[in-house]
Amino acid sequence: MREDAIIKLEDVSTVYEGERRPAIKGVNLTLKKNELVYVVGPNASGKTTLLETINGLLPPFKGKVSVFGLDVQNHGRRVRCKIGYVPQDFMVKPGEPYTAIDVVLMGLYGQIGFLHQPEEKDQKNALEAMKLLGVEELVNRPMGKLSGGQQQKVMLARALAKNPRILLLDEPFSNLDPDSRGQIPSLITKLHEEKDLTTLIVTHDIHHMIDNCNRVIVVTNGKITFDGTPKNAFPLVENHPHTTSLEKTHH
Amino acid sequence: MGLIGVFVVRMRLSAIGYSMSHGAFAGAALGVATATNPLATGLLFASATAFLIGPIADKARLHADTITSIVFPLNMALAFVFLTLAPEIGLSSQVANVLWGSIISMTNTDLVYLTTLFAATIAIIYFIWKELFAIMFNRKLAEADGINTKPFIYLIILLSGVVVTFSLKLVGGLLIYALLFNPASTALQFLENMRAIVIASPLIGMATTVSGLLVSLALDLPVGSCIVIVSTIVFAIALLLSPKRRRKEVQ
Repeated sequence: MREDAIIKLEDVSTVYEGERRPAIKGVNLTLKKNELVYVVGPNASGKTTLLETINGLLPPFKGKVSVFGLDVQNHGRRVRCKIGYVPQDFMVKPGEPYTAIDVVLMGLYGQIGFLHQPEEKDQKNALEAMKLLGVEELVNRPMGKLSGGQQQKVMLARALAKNPRILLLDEPFSNLDPDSRGQIPSLITKLHEEKDLTTLIVTHDIHHMIDNCNRVIVVTNGKITFDGTPKNAFPLVENHPHTTSLEKTHH
Repeated sequence: MGLIGVFVVRMRLSAIGYSMSHGAFAGAALGVATATNPLATGLLFASATAFLIGPIADKARLHADTITSIVFPLNMALAFVFLTLAPEIGLSSQVANVLWGSIISMTNTDLVYLTTLFAATIAIIYFIWKELFAIMFNRKLAEADGINTKPFIYLIILLSGVVVTFSLKLVGGLLIYALLFNPASTALQFLENMRAIVIASPLIGMATTVSGLLVSLALDLPVGSCIVIVSTIVFAIALLLSPKRRRKEVQ
């Protein structure tokens, strides 16, 4: 099954810039193609660091990270062109000079490459991604004037426009209004299936579990303390819906 | 200056802008002290400063704040040492030119240099606009989408140094950064489209320079100071009239 591994971390430790204490320690993790994995755990437990180590934004000081069989340290940009990443709590302030379509199209710039200009097909991809998320009417609106939920959808469209093979979503449900909170998880499920994606979703709140999630990873203090099926994970969290309680369960 | 200032302001490189200005200033002072061409020594110092706060600081893992806080006073100290060593001690005309600038002493050759530099800057920005746009929006996201952001940032740092060096004669080393920041900050108060800002900023820069010159002629005051005061007044008016600010108050 080794060849199926899309993401592979071998004994990986990463330190955040300027800090001495590793944010994740000795992590071993293999993700197969088409898996939809939830990463849960208390705040500051290393969930975001895990995502940014996978896409190579944070270089590990120990261990090896491979994505699509390529070493992320040496092939970072190539790998990142195929990863859709939505960072946590990303909000554009009012008055910032970017429209929604600017933001979505920008996600494609790495793929388009140096000295090449975006073509009609890139514009089309960007518009289609916006349509998928139901934000096509916001195309020319300034990003900073959109609500938190609308901005979150534009950021998801940005991640999808580049036709990624992997989706890394950091707290993708945090800014959504109650309506979108119902829609977005099922939309991610649908896209995950249709586009043959491998998806990693970080959340501190187990309430937003997607139906077809087939694996849950619990990160506590920079280490993976649980890795298994949602069925086995639920008893841990069932009585304590908020995952801050997970820490207690594991100590 | 107004053009490159947009990128310096939007990439939050203001501290780096100060350092570059004073690097060029120290270099020009060395030129005066050794009776060589201040333009050549200015360029040399600006490039060395760019190299120090760009690649070398990154290699040494120094934070931009740390390195600029060290380089900024060092360049000032060097500038004053060089000016003291100048053959004719005191505020001789050449020393005064470096300190306060003298637009009137600009020669045709200076104008040819400035025009060529302006054209070259426009060309460079045209070709790397896509990457600059994405980096200005968010550097980490640009990196996550597969853009190698470092070379573009180094290029902007270097370009700001070169532009400052060639513009030293306008207002002098002590006031030059006002021309780097004021037009860009003024344009940002009014416009919500990045392309429009890039066009408006140099136009505002030109208009304030000409107005400052006229004020100085009318009131018989130093040219450089008048240009800076006029450009600051224009920025203050922009701030008061800014539609962005007004909306905030309504909210």
